[in-house]
Amino acid sequence: MFKFSLFIAALFSTYAIAAPSPQNLLAASDAIRNPGQPFSLTSTLIEYRNGKQTDTTTLAVYARADTHSGQFRNLIRFVTPQRDTGKMLLKNGNDLWFYDPASKASIRISPQQRLLGQAANGDVVTVNLALDYDATQASHEAIQDGEQQMRSATLLKLSAKTPDVTYHRIDYWIDHNTKQPIKAKFYSASDRLLKTAYYRRFQQQLGALRPSETVIIDGLDPQWVTVMRSSELAFRDIQESWLQRDFLPRFNPEQK
Amino acid sequence: MPHPYRTVAPLLLLALCSSACLADAVDDLHALTLADQAPVQSQQQRDWQFFTEGMYGYAFLKNGYQHIPMARLSADLFVDTRATESLRFIFANRLDGQSYDGKFSHVNTLKEAYFSWQASPSLVFDLGRINQRNGMAAAYNPSDFFKAGAVRSVVSTAPASLRENRLGSGMLRAQTFWPGGSASAIYSPQLADHRDSAPFALDLGASNPANRWMLSFSHALSATLSPQFLLYGEAHQSPQLAFNLSALASDALSVHLEYRGGRSKAQLDPNAPQRYYSRLASGASYTFPAKITLTAEYQYNQAALKHAEWSALAQDPAQYWSYRSRVFSAQDIPTQHAAFFYSSWSDAIWPQLDLNWMLRADWVDHSLQSWLEARYHLEQAELALQWQSQSGHRMSHFGALPDSVQLLFKYYY
Repeated sequence: MFKFSLFIAALFSTYAIAAPSPQNLLAASDAIRNPGQPFSLTSTLIEYRNGKQTDTTTLAVYARADTHSGQFRNLIRFVTPQRDTGKMLLKNGNDLWFYDPASKASIRISPQQRLLGQAANGDVVTVNLALDYDATQASHEAIQDGEQQMRSATLLKLSAKTPDVTYHRIDYWIDHNTKQPIKAKFYSASDRLLKTAYYRRFQQQLGALRPSETVIIDGLDPQWVTVMRSSELAFRDIQESWLQRDFLPRFNPEQK
Repeated sequence: MPHPYRTVAPLLLLALCSSACLADAVDDLHALTLADQAPVQSQQQRDWQFFTEGMYGYAFLKNGYQHIPMARLSADLFVDTRATESLRFIFANRLDGQSYDGKFSHVNTLKEAYFSWQASPSLVFDLGRINQRNGMAAAYNPSDFFKAGAVRSVVSTAPASLRENRLGSGMLRAQTFWPGGSASAIYSPQLADHRDSAPFALDLGASNPANRWMLSFSHALSATLSPQFLLYGEAHQSPQLAFNLSALASDALSVHLEYRGGRSKAQLDPNAPQRYYSRLASGASYTFPAKITLTAEYQYNQAALKHAEWSALAQDPAQYWSYRSRVFSAQDIPTQHAAFFYSSWSDAIWPQLDLNWMLRADWVDHSLQSWLEARYHLEQAELALQWQSQSGHRMSHFGALPDSVQLLFKYYY
């Protein structure tokens, strides 16, 4: 009996050492969505309302992790529609600037104002959640993934470390074996569901299997669906000094 | 043929759900099915933008209630291309053909044409005609020194339009960057001493009327506070000091402050002795979850007219209109205190429709200008209806101007 108890204790202690903490699980999932060095990608957002395609936006996203915080800072350049070509959004935490090449104006915008545009959906992809959220493991469950297949998942409950993040809390499902993100539900400070995201169509990109498509369902109007496709993922030399308001008029996508 | 598990899995999930969960599952299933059918689209980044815009409308004069037809056709080209890895060429040009009460005129505005050489990742030199824009305020930018005399063709009195459709200045500009900050130096020489109103003139007298220089410095003090300091000099004028500051006050509220101070002449009397004058614009912008953003701004110009001076000037129409013309050309305000409100409602009533409302108030003579716009976005085009009305005494800031209604169609190529 004693030997059996030792065996059980050993088994559980091994499991305790081997099983990653919820925070580590979250970090592992972040690493699947985001490469570990500065990169760029093209994001095509196809918008549907009541089942009909209503808008298409193409964004060039340039991302570099902050040297101090580790959080991604993004430069988002509008490619289409033509009326928005060349407009840019700089996101450095809550330091947000919108630049219009026609007026040469760089205007500070609030996080709420950014949510009005499609560029906000970039957050669902290029963000290191483990830096901004505390993760607790809620349960293991079988859920339907973005390919409409059942997957064994770990549900992490994420709560914001500081009140200045866009989403107050997130329910986040991660594949039990591969640590791939499967699904997320994003909530506001008033606990209103803002959006549901399915990560799918995993492809080998920059040394890992990464999601190439995210399906985003609006929390208030489920008939408002955005399909976000990522392509042309590539490592980029993005200088630290470029990620500031004064550089926006100078940012050129051809910069190597 | 779909995998059997793929067919059975959603059914199994639905069977296990509560009614609320069931509704969510149905919505999710619908969204994923839509996504499966989404077309594959590929768009490359372009280094140019070209649009044409047509306008037809009426101006309503207050003396005799006369309706004057007006029309405009504009073509606008912007190019930002790379000649070599470190050399860019920027070109922006606009041609406006306008008809007002049957009289036709056309004006070309060469907004920008310059080379930009990136000597190193943190050092850039620019040479040519550059639209150097300063200021963080929404409508009145006292630190935007190169705006004076730069508007050649007025297509709208909206602040955004006046900022966009103007001449750049011929200049040499050097700018250096470091993490969180930058510094720049500008020299803009005098290239002509009088304006040229010929339709296709470069109008160097408007863009480079005097020898001018500017130094700027900005550095982030915190994650959300990054002030900018400017020092500007112009021949026959004392240096002007300016700063810009904006900050995030809450998740939905941003605030801004723009200031300029220095010795200069009074706006009304260029022959009066110089004294120190301050100009400022300060305001806030708040966004509501219903996609409505409200902006309010207070504007102050110490060099402009007080109530008694403004009322006295109105007794001499020739002087009054000459003063207004000079102030408008300088893109300044004619009286000391003003306010600006702007409301923008995206996806108003139905998707792709924006409703914008601008209210400008002169706090010295209490006149008002209200501008309402409905703008509908199509895939490559925009359709807009604009209505502008003025109220106040007939010689007041806004009361002296006509009301108008305009229908616009803009097409992007």
